[in-house]
Amino acid sequence: MIVFSGVSLIYPTSTKTILEDLTFTVAEGELVLVMGSTGSGKSSLLRLVNGLVPHHTGGILAGDISVNGISTREVKPGGFAHLVGIVGQNPLNGFVTDIVEEELAFGMETLNFAPDVMRKRVEEVLDQLSLAHLRDRSIATLSGGEQQRVAIGSALVMHPKILVLDEPTSALDPIAAEEVLSIVHRLVHDLGLTVILSEHKLERVIQFADRIIHIKGDGQTLIGTPQEVLKSSDIAPPIIELGRALNLPDISLSVRDMRRVTENLRADLSKIDVPPAPIQTPTAREVVIVDKVSHSYGSAPALRDISLAIRAGEIVAIMGRNGAGKSSLLRAIAGILKVNRGGISVGGINPLELHGNERTKTIGFIPQEPSDLLYGQSVLAECRAADKDNRVNEGETFGLLEKFVPGISSKTHPRDLSEGQRLALALSVILSAKPKVLILDEPTRGLDYAAKNSLIATLREFAVKGCTTLVATHDVELVAELATRTIFIADGDVVADGPTIDVLLSSPAFAPQVAKIMSPAPWLRVKDVVAAVYTKR
Amino acid sequence: MLHPLAWWIWAGSIAIGIAKASSIPLALTTVGAVAIVVVRKSEDAPWSRSFQWSLKVGIWVIGIRTLTGILIGVPSAGSTLFTIPQIPLPTWMPGIRIGGAVTAERLMATAHDGIMLAAIIALLGAAASLASPHRLLRSLPVMVYEFGVAVVIATSVLPQLVSSSARIRQAQRLRGQNNRGLSSWRRLALPLLEDALARSLDLAAAMDSRGYGFSRKRSKYRPNSWRVSEYLLCSSAVIAVVHPIMMLAAVLVALVVVPSQKISTQGVAATA
Repeated sequence: MIVFSGVSLIYPTSTKTILEDLTFTVAEGELVLVMGSTGSGKSSLLRLVNGLVPHHTGGILAGDISVNGISTREVKPGGFAHLVGIVGQNPLNGFVTDIVEEELAFGMETLNFAPDVMRKRVEEVLDQLSLAHLRDRSIATLSGGEQQRVAIGSALVMHPKILVLDEPTSALDPIAAEEVLSIVHRLVHDLGLTVILSEHKLERVIQFADRIIHIKGDGQTLIGTPQEVLKSSDIAPPIIELGRALNLPDISLSVRDMRRVTENLRADLSKIDVPPAPIQTPTAREVVIVDKVSHSYGSAPALRDISLAIRAGEIVAIMGRNGAGKSSLLRAIAGILKVNRGGISVGGINPLELHGNERTKTIGFIPQEPSDLLYGQSVLAECRAADKDNRVNEGETFGLLEKFVPGISSKTHPRDLSEGQRLALALSVILSAKPKVLILDEPTRGLDYAAKNSLIATLREFAVKGCTTLVATHDVELVAELATRTIFIADGDVVADGPTIDVLLSSPAFAPQVAKIMSPAPWLRVKDVVAAVYTKR
Repeated sequence: MLHPLAWWIWAGSIAIGIAKASSIPLALTTVGAVAIVVVRKSEDAPWSRSFQWSLKVGIWVIGIRTLTGILIGVPSAGSTLFTIPQIPLPTWMPGIRIGGAVTAERLMATAHDGIMLAAIIALLGAAASLASPHRLLRSLPVMVYEFGVAVVIATSVLPQLVSSSARIRQAQRLRGQNNRGLSSWRRLALPLLEDALARSLDLAAAMDSRGYGFSRKRSKYRPNSWRVSEYLLCSSAVIAVVHPIMMLAAVLVALVVVPSQKISTQGVAATA
């Protein structure tokens, strides 16, 4: 179906080869996962399939790519519209119309399909992706998972043989991600669709993949079955890490397989007494106090009578579905959102009354798009501006940044940094003011495992120094590694609030992989299991 | 769904009727009646708030028109309400003056003009609320459709720019910056431009890979048909042009004949 023969790719402005001499074939009905760290060229590889690279982006391409016998050299992306459906990283940016049904029909209209054919196919896709009840809705009012389904639907109406998905679940909560992935899985099995997708959150997708292409970042690639590639790769989801840590002979990709393999081990471990996790007696003073806060947008309530007290040095994860009220709560605490009822105090002050320097010394806020904070022309200029704004010694911000990401080039434009580096820069800008409370909204979107680990290390270090941290996230693995306390919000209510281990273990959908495998034992992380194994010996 | 053109003809005819009748009480009652139609029958699209916006714009128009009417004008007879200092103008500009006596007649005349203008703007806003301009463009003949798509894309960039600029300003305020002065504009403009550029590149790539511009001909999905209710709506409004009193009848026809275009709002809250 897709044949890459001797493909090399280099962008004229970059000194690095993106792909070098890549040769592989994808057969019909295969689901291929592309993995690699951020900026390694995953998106470029996906966009090569329908010729967007190099026709749309520029770049020098050697070798040949043929899709269903047609070479991408000779035909422009538009010529592949009936053959390859492609969904970008942020589907909202790719929508042309504003109503679901019209969006689905757009591609067929441009290719001059007959009206009765269009109508039939739109109905078909509405059923396939369970979008029928949303047909008249404005796309802007849909949730993230629904938007992703509309984007996949508008590719599917063209009856393509190949579907290309660029990080389809990165921005989604675990439940919406499962919905999207199960639809993709069904399409592969029922219709024999060929799917190529990239994803950072490997734990969500590896069990569906037939093969993996691992782009190593230096132009080298490794292609093989998931078992072959993940045996030795430097990026691996928790399930693989656990397998490696326990020296299991075979690599299992799904929770079910892993439970089968570890049956004896779990039986052994259950005999030993697990020392109860040291309960930290909270003696620290309360920094953030939320007192009976309610808020609504129009007639839709976002927060209902929420009361919380958060102590100094706590790392609190706030979880919940898209639209549950996580962002509203964080924005209210940060003092950007004026709530209808109730009181909030941060360090004894109403956050709405904080301004200028006093604000930066009290609250640091990292928005969903860290680049919103940045406006400098280079990393160094950005750091100097932050030194001046935060009234700290010159060079302090850059020093902080070098600690987070050693060896970062000070002359690079912030826009050219990788996702993880950009987050590190925004973090240094905020943290150089030494805020009492740090708030992060969805920080791991688009971060690879290495960047995530360095984020975890940084936040831990600041928490030890007494900085209170609040993180809204969908990433259960991050919560398991990082948070001391987890608050679960649904429909504007606090549904669960307690130590991370209790909250995560009580909810199957939001449990991390290790917990699912080792259940009912109370372990969330690979290192907890390893520690238990050692104490047994 | 009603044919979008029917709504635009309806609102346009009533606007012409208002301009022709040129009476403040009639204009105000008609706009009030149209407001009821908008509340009851508007669709749940991003454009449905245009009527509220057009009312705000209308109030500005009335204010500015009245202010300029007071300040600049030709001397006219009538009972003087109050006098403001007059700025002397060179002799080669006879008949025009800035400042001077303000008569009740002049105040009334300028306010009248302002209200007429505001009423017409409100009716355009009502048309946009009832049938979004995007839907109107979609019903254009295929010949000008390409142009229509370009306009749709250009206009959808604007709300996006507004929302990203609000987002960026908020983020920077949290960085402890005040949002005044020249440097704050540079701080806003750079990320904003980046954002807009990234969006339009994404959109261009998406349209490219969906075959936009690849085929010479294009077809139309579910073309709107012209049925009895459309004819009723249009004819009632056209009569309103002939006789101003019929305007309220046209509004009544809209309320009775047209089915509600609202759809279930379930889930809208999720994105809020």
